Amino acid sequence: METKKNYVLNLTDILVTIVVSLVFGLIFRLMGPVYDLLQSFGIQLDALIYGIWFIAGPFTALLIRKPGVAFLAETAAALAEVLFGGSGGIVNLYYGLIQGAFSELIFAVFLYKRFNIGTAMLSGLTASAGSLILDFPLNAFYQMPGWVITLNIIFRFIGALILSGVLPFLLVKALEKTGVTQLVRPVTKEDYDVLNK
Amino acid sequence: MDNLWKNTDKLFFKVNPSLKFLCFALLFIVYLFVHNLNTIIWAAVAFTFLYTWAAGISNKISFWFFLTTFIVSFFSASAMILYGKGTHILFHWYLIQISEESLARGILLGLRTFVFGLISMLFASTTPPVPFFYSLMQQLKIPVRYAYGCLAAFRMLPIMAEELVHIRQAMKVRGLTRKKGFGAFYEQFKRYSLGMLVQSIRRAQRTAVAMEAKRFSMNSERTFYYQIGWSRSDLIFLLIVSVTVVSGFLLSRWIPLTPFSNVIDGY
Repeated sequence: METKKNYVLNLTDILVTIVVSLVFGLIFRLMGPVYDLLQSFGIQLDALIYGIWFIAGPFTALLIRKPGVAFLAETAAALAEVLFGGSGGIVNLYYGLIQGAFSELIFAVFLYKRFNIGTAMLSGLTASAGSLILDFPLNAFYQMPGWVITLNIIFRFIGALILSGVLPFLLVKALEKTGVTQLVRPVTKEDYDVLNK
Repeated sequence: MDNLWKNTDKLFFKVNPSLKFLCFALLFIVYLFVHNLNTIIWAAVAFTFLYTWAAGISNKISFWFFLTTFIVSFFSASAMILYGKGTHILFHWYLIQISEESLARGILLGLRTFVFGLISMLFASTTPPVPFFYSLMQQLKIPVRYAYGCLAAFRMLPIMAEELVHIRQAMKVRGLTRKKGFGAFYEQFKRYSLGMLVQSIRRAQRTAVAMEAKRFSMNSERTFYYQIGWSRSDLIFLLIVSVTVVSGFLLSRWIPLTPFSNVIDGY
């Protein structure tokens, strides 16, 4: 009996990933003005909701559980945001590529075997670390006083843990109850064992 | 979505989408390394002219987008202006410390965000998704599965919008929208997001099965319904964009408006 996991992305995985990322891209676009408003006064409140921009990677990885989906999702969501005319502009695509790669990294480190709240939170956290790579030169962070940088990084990590770690986990948990996840996940050994009972 | 693009006979609509995409993506890297305040001021002026001439949306939307982008760009620079490091202090009040250096740096960051905003609006407002993804397949050799996946997904947006309205109406008629407080907000959020996600995933899966049956995922030897090629518009486009970028650099050398020529690392 064939019990090896099928790790190649087929059209179903790709389409589901892209449709979900498009929804997230729309959310990113709509959250853009909120984020811009929070940036005023410069007390880094914007960093608290930064986490929402990392959600596409962990969410689709938890949903589909295959290699590459986190990267694909984050990139597609960023591309969608660019095509919708999001406020950051073409920069968002670069952010998407880096955040997607960092998000994917965590699931790759665990060899695509662990898809729980822990890996989701780690994935969100590394994605936010990845976003810092671009934010440092773009916003000239190194010319800021220490308390602004510290506040920004702490707020960003808290936001990432909740909005791109806990939130996608809860959403996928709720989706599991509806049974829709069975449509998209690869068949596992347990599924075959059920047949033998 | 289709009625967004009113006058599609403008030049930028005829440019090869992949070329336009790569060109604009490259501009990001160019302006990332500009640390001269004068250059970015003149670049902002040059791109404002290009934007007013080439953007594909109606004048009214175009004007409001321009205005909001300009204001919002300076929100993003406010942290740098208010708290940035610097020695020539202009204004000091508790933590707020505005110096000449931080002000110049803040204006540079703000204008850079503004230029990026204009560039991407130029792209977004003159690039309908269908030619864009066909061009990605033909010129950049993106695997067809991804490109057709994106195209199919874009077609689902109107259905999703309709669904959102249905969920809202259903919640309204059952009195869910009248409840207040955090619990009610969480309940509403859950109903919106889960309803939308479940339906989108189901629809995507059904569509993918149908597309697979029609060999949309086949890789070898494809023909395309829309042939996206090259034309004279591409040359003119390259010329216009280079003139815009180069004029920004030259004008900053000829007519420097401010004495700040390297604002990121001092001056």
